[in-house]
Amino acid sequence: MTDLRIRRWIFLGLAVIVVLTMLVPVTTKVTVSPYTQRMYDYIDSLPAHSVVMVSFDHDASSQPEIRPLSLCLLRHAFSRGLKMAGVSFQSEGTVIGYRMIEQTAKEFGREYGVDYVYLGFRPQLQAAILQLGESIRGLYAQDYFGTPLDSIPMLVGIDSLAQIAVVLSIADANNTTHWMEYGKARFNVPIIAGVTASMVTSYDPYLSSGQLSAMVGGLRGAAEYERLLNRHGAGQRGMLAQSATHLYLIALILTGNFIFLRARRGKK
Amino acid sequence: MFLQYFSPHPLARAVNRGMLDYWQILSAIALVVGVVGVARTNLMGLIAGKDRINRLTVLAGVMAMPILAWLWGTTAGSPFVWMFEYVQMPMQATVFALLAFFVASASFRGFRARNAQATVLLVSATIILMSRLSFGEGFLSQFQWIGDWMRDNPSMAARRAILIGIGLGSLTTSLRVLLGVERTWLGGSK
Amino acid sequence: MIASTIADSRWLDMAKLPELVGSVVVIAIVFLATMNRSIQSAKLRKINGLEAIEDAVGRATEMARPVLFTPGWGGDIQRPTTIASMNILTKVASLSAQYDCTLLYPTHDPVIMTVAQEVVREAYTDSGYPDRYRADNINYVSSSQFGYAAAVDGIISRQKPASIFLLGTFEAESLILAETGNTVGAIQIAGTDSTIQLAFFIVACDYTLIGEELFAASGYLSGNPSIVASVKAQDILKVVIAVILVAATIWATTARILDIETVQWWKF
Repeated sequence: MTDLRIRRWIFLGLAVIVVLTMLVPVTTKVTVSPYTQRMYDYIDSLPAHSVVMVSFDHDASSQPEIRPLSLCLLRHAFSRGLKMAGVSFQSEGTVIGYRMIEQTAKEFGREYGVDYVYLGFRPQLQAAILQLGESIRGLYAQDYFGTPLDSIPMLVGIDSLAQIAVVLSIADANNTTHWMEYGKARFNVPIIAGVTASMVTSYDPYLSSGQLSAMVGGLRGAAEYERLLNRHGAGQRGMLAQSATHLYLIALILTGNFIFLRARRGKK
Repeated sequence: MFLQYFSPHPLARAVNRGMLDYWQILSAIALVVGVVGVARTNLMGLIAGKDRINRLTVLAGVMAMPILAWLWGTTAGSPFVWMFEYVQMPMQATVFALLAFFVASASFRGFRARNAQATVLLVSATIILMSRLSFGEGFLSQFQWIGDWMRDNPSMAARRAILIGIGLGSLTTSLRVLLGVERTWLGGSK
Repeated sequence: MIASTIADSRWLDMAKLPELVGSVVVIAIVFLATMNRSIQSAKLRKINGLEAIEDAVGRATEMARPVLFTPGWGGDIQRPTTIASMNILTKVASLSAQYDCTLLYPTHDPVIMTVAQEVVREAYTDSGYPDRYRADNINYVSSSQFGYAAAVDGIISRQKPASIFLLGTFEAESLILAETGNTVGAIQIAGTDSTIQLAFFIVACDYTLIGEELFAASGYLSGNPSIVASVKAQDILKVVIAVILVAATIWATTARILDIETVQWWKF
């Protein structure tokens, strides 16, 4: 069988497994990992009314993975009475971020301007973080809707990263690294992150050294967080499909090796 | 910029703020350069008769969103937001989802026990995949412990070593650029 | 918390003094090593990925198919990885000019596109074939991650390059590009600063430049003594870091075993 034909069968098999498992209304039980527990405990430990800056550093492509996680983190933060200041340094993340923060704020009856604010998009992440460290008003004269920051009750007395309790970076690429390099290293603001599964291991060294205070990643992280919040959501619904896919990949690896070793024995 | 990092003096901070403002302005202008470049390249290709359908699609996409935003705004419920939510987002998510298929084909092709190192890679990959299953506790929870150990120890050690190397490489490359030793990126290699 | 209105008029923040001293020491080591004649004449070990560049371009020429070079989505022009990839682009462009092979360079950043156009034009001119240069082959496709990935995939699928260079900062699009290149039977040389994507490249590509091998390319390919010396300076710094790591580990372990309070000099 040619390489191309084998590839097509592999793709078809994966598609069938994912579609079938997504249609089955079964929720698998996830064990909460120490990393997710650490994030949960961190947000729990923040004093009520602390200002959290949420940076939506992702674009539309990672929505299926990032959205369940973002909603969990925002819900937990709002339930603890934390105040949220939303920003975005990727153009696509701007609208997505606003819709998520607005949706979760409404669930908890939070008022715009008092409990949360959305500042909007600015280009060039590194420059923006450095400016935020000096003066938030230097970067954002107005919020997303054109309201001057001075007339927003939540931002009275808040004008730099020094007055922010923690920055929550929701990212699908290396933008969280820039938050650590510029925000944490220069202005000593704690950074926590919600990232896609593929980025989790690249941030492990920073988590271990304390440059990142807490991190949770991927659909699995969302499922674990939903369990901690006692909510059923897209994270837990996706676990059966994800686990089935993992088993399929293991089967592919074993099959590939079986074929390879048999061919090698045949040559000998 | 390097020296002002160590100085809280108002003059240093003023220089810093000024440079950051210019950096942001240049980034915004660069976006315009990109859009003009895309439009120009595809228009020229269209006129020359090369890949007409693809180029028309690109030009339609480039023009459609600004026109929709200009005519009906970008508030919730506008055609711009509708196009973003129901056309752009699903298309981008679809391309991202292709990654799963390519991981499957790469796993089938790449994880072969050719030699000792490849066998270690193959066994590690299998253990990590098993550790991410969520079919409850018991037997599988042992794999989670092993997977977490591998993530926190050998994987972390290798990652740190590569990060140190990359950090040093970035440092020397940056110094070469700042000192003018490295000029290739300016288009002048000699 | 109330924003401080008292300006800090110190010229030097003493809390950052250890960082300043460390930075100056490192810069001094690099500078002195670069000036040292014996280090300038040092040889770099063989790097397979860089040795294969000429063969890769030659292969494309024989097969009458283009060469594709792309710097990835994750970085912009100020990133050292992107600058390092420009050094390799010079070599590839020079060979493409000599062999009259088409060089395609799609990118996600208009500034990178402009710089690449200059680099390639200079390389073609220096090789003696300025008339073979085509600016339209170096183009900006999309700033969106998967818009860029889809565009490059489309170029690979339609134009079927014989050799693909994936050198720069890549994020999740790396495996998509590498597998598509595999589908068209291209020889692939990859290098990135992302530890996650390195793993994908090692599995999917023929040659992978790991870690600082990408940054050594400039000295390796040009043979410029100053640049070779700065690459050697990296090795000197690595030895210094290793000595500090070992010393700190022994110090901390001994203090822990003997239950002694000690200055943690490695933390600053």
